[in-house]
Amino acid sequence: MTSSTNFLNKTAVILFVGLLHLSGCAYTKGTVSGESHNGVGRFQIAVFPVENLSGTLSPLKEMRESVIKRLRTEGFPVLEEGILEKFMARHRVRYTGGIDQGTAKAFKEETGTEAVLITSVELYSDRVPPKIAFIARLVSTGDKPVILWMDGVGLAGDQSPGILGLGLIENPQELREKAMSSLLDSLMGYLSGEKGEMGIKSVKRKFSPKIVYRSFEISPDKKYTVAVVPFFNRSDRKNGGEITALHFVKELTRIEEFDVVEPGVVRQGLLNLRVIMEEGVSLANADIIFGILNVDLILSGKVLDYQDYQGASGTPKVNFSVLLIERKSRLIVWSSESYNEGDDGVFLFDWGKVNTAYTMTSQMAQAIGKIMVK
Amino acid sequence: MVKLWRILFCSVLTVLAGCAGKGDIYRDPNMDFGAIQSVAVLPFSNLTRDNLAAERVRDVFINKLLSTGAVYVLPAGEVARGVAMVDIQNPFSPSPEEIVKLGPIIKVQAIITGVVKEYGEVRSGTTSANLISLSLQMIETQTGKIVWTASTTKGGISIWDRLFGGGGQPMNDVTGKAVNDLINKLFK
Repeated sequence: MTSSTNFLNKTAVILFVGLLHLSGCAYTKGTVSGESHNGVGRFQIAVFPVENLSGTLSPLKEMRESVIKRLRTEGFPVLEEGILEKFMARHRVRYTGGIDQGTAKAFKEETGTEAVLITSVELYSDRVPPKIAFIARLVSTGDKPVILWMDGVGLAGDQSPGILGLGLIENPQELREKAMSSLLDSLMGYLSGEKGEMGIKSVKRKFSPKIVYRSFEISPDKKYTVAVVPFFNRSDRKNGGEITALHFVKELTRIEEFDVVEPGVVRQGLLNLRVIMEEGVSLANADIIFGILNVDLILSGKVLDYQDYQGASGTPKVNFSVLLIERKSRLIVWSSESYNEGDDGVFLFDWGKVNTAYTMTSQMAQAIGKIMVK
Repeated sequence: MVKLWRILFCSVLTVLAGCAGKGDIYRDPNMDFGAIQSVAVLPFSNLTRDNLAAERVRDVFINKLLSTGAVYVLPAGEVARGVAMVDIQNPFSPSPEEIVKLGPIIKVQAIITGVVKEYGEVRSGTTSANLISLSLQMIETQTGKIVWTASTTKGGISIWDRLFGGGGQPMNDVTGKAVNDLINKLFK
């Protein structure tokens, strides 16, 4: 009797220890290597060279330097420049707008880096009033790259002119620093755990999609893995498709019901299988993407307008359609059409005017994400 | 005198009734539209100066048609794959044989083609307004026969615009109205 009780006790202890170990390996959103770094310890971060999607000359080097400086000030070890360069040369990493599975694994094994910071410049205009917009994300390294944090900022010098124009920013460097500081505050908030998870922000009604089709196949109670593929770009804006896709990655990452695949992994998958999408995703393409990325949904679309304006007068314009294809049914489960202009709903003194396409697209994508999971 | 007025009124009515036609819709009376569950919308032909007009209108039409929930509309990428597989020379106006070949490949019961005839701003003197004019046709994939056609024109310069200006309605609103009108004609 005593021996059987001892045996049971031992088994229970072994089972408990085993469970503890297994729970440590569990996959959770926003963690690095199974251990939460959200406010715990200081881990090494590699800062990728800034990707330029603006189509114009931008101070990429200066932006990267200010990110590294802030990270070091906050006590985060940043991967040394020489080591990063050697690593990138050894693995022939040319694309800095994302990280694929192989590179993420090699980063962890060879450099001990826990996360990579990827920054993409969407807009840079130094003509008075200056304008700037960029999106950044922190992606974990290791076997499965996961987006830990993602945010962006879009500012115009004349966004808040205030009384007698005292709030006008005419110096591009000043605006850049302001934007950088706002973005890095958000990153530090995530890293220190002060602000917790990236939550859904409020969105104005005017940015809601104008036409919506939503199938009953999407269940608000289920969690979905989503791959966002670059949008088909028919606008005059260079990289309009990539920029819009990034906005959707950013906004869907905020929603608990979605696990968004790192865009670098999606890109590598499409390149490996030489997937060419003419006029959008076909069902044959969708089958391949579902297979290689093991996702439940594919989000794609078409961008018809993505316009920013230079100088003081003008208004941004954005027009895109979104399509969501579900794996099991191979059907469109969401389709919508969104279009907005910066002066929509503005009647007096430019009150409520939106100055950048970035701000508008963010809100439009956010509105779509919200309705999707309703 | 009263009799004369009555005669005049009746003759005017008769003349006006003679002018009335069946409208700009054709529906095949033998077609069972309820049997159509999925359709493919081919790229629209663009007769306007705006290079993207046909794509814009097609996008709005696909989304509006899907949002009715009455029929399923195939993704544009899948339609493009089908067009490439069948090797349709002119996807804007495919031949009946090409339609019959395309149907089983993309698994749809009907195909919709369209022509955007006007899109954008029209001017008259100092007044301007947005205008759209488009026509659509539905072709059955089993036989390659046209089973429905309709056209619409929306926007343009109204008396209000002439008197008070204002530039008419935004292009997106005008497009939405035109597409709604055509969808109403399809389900009538």
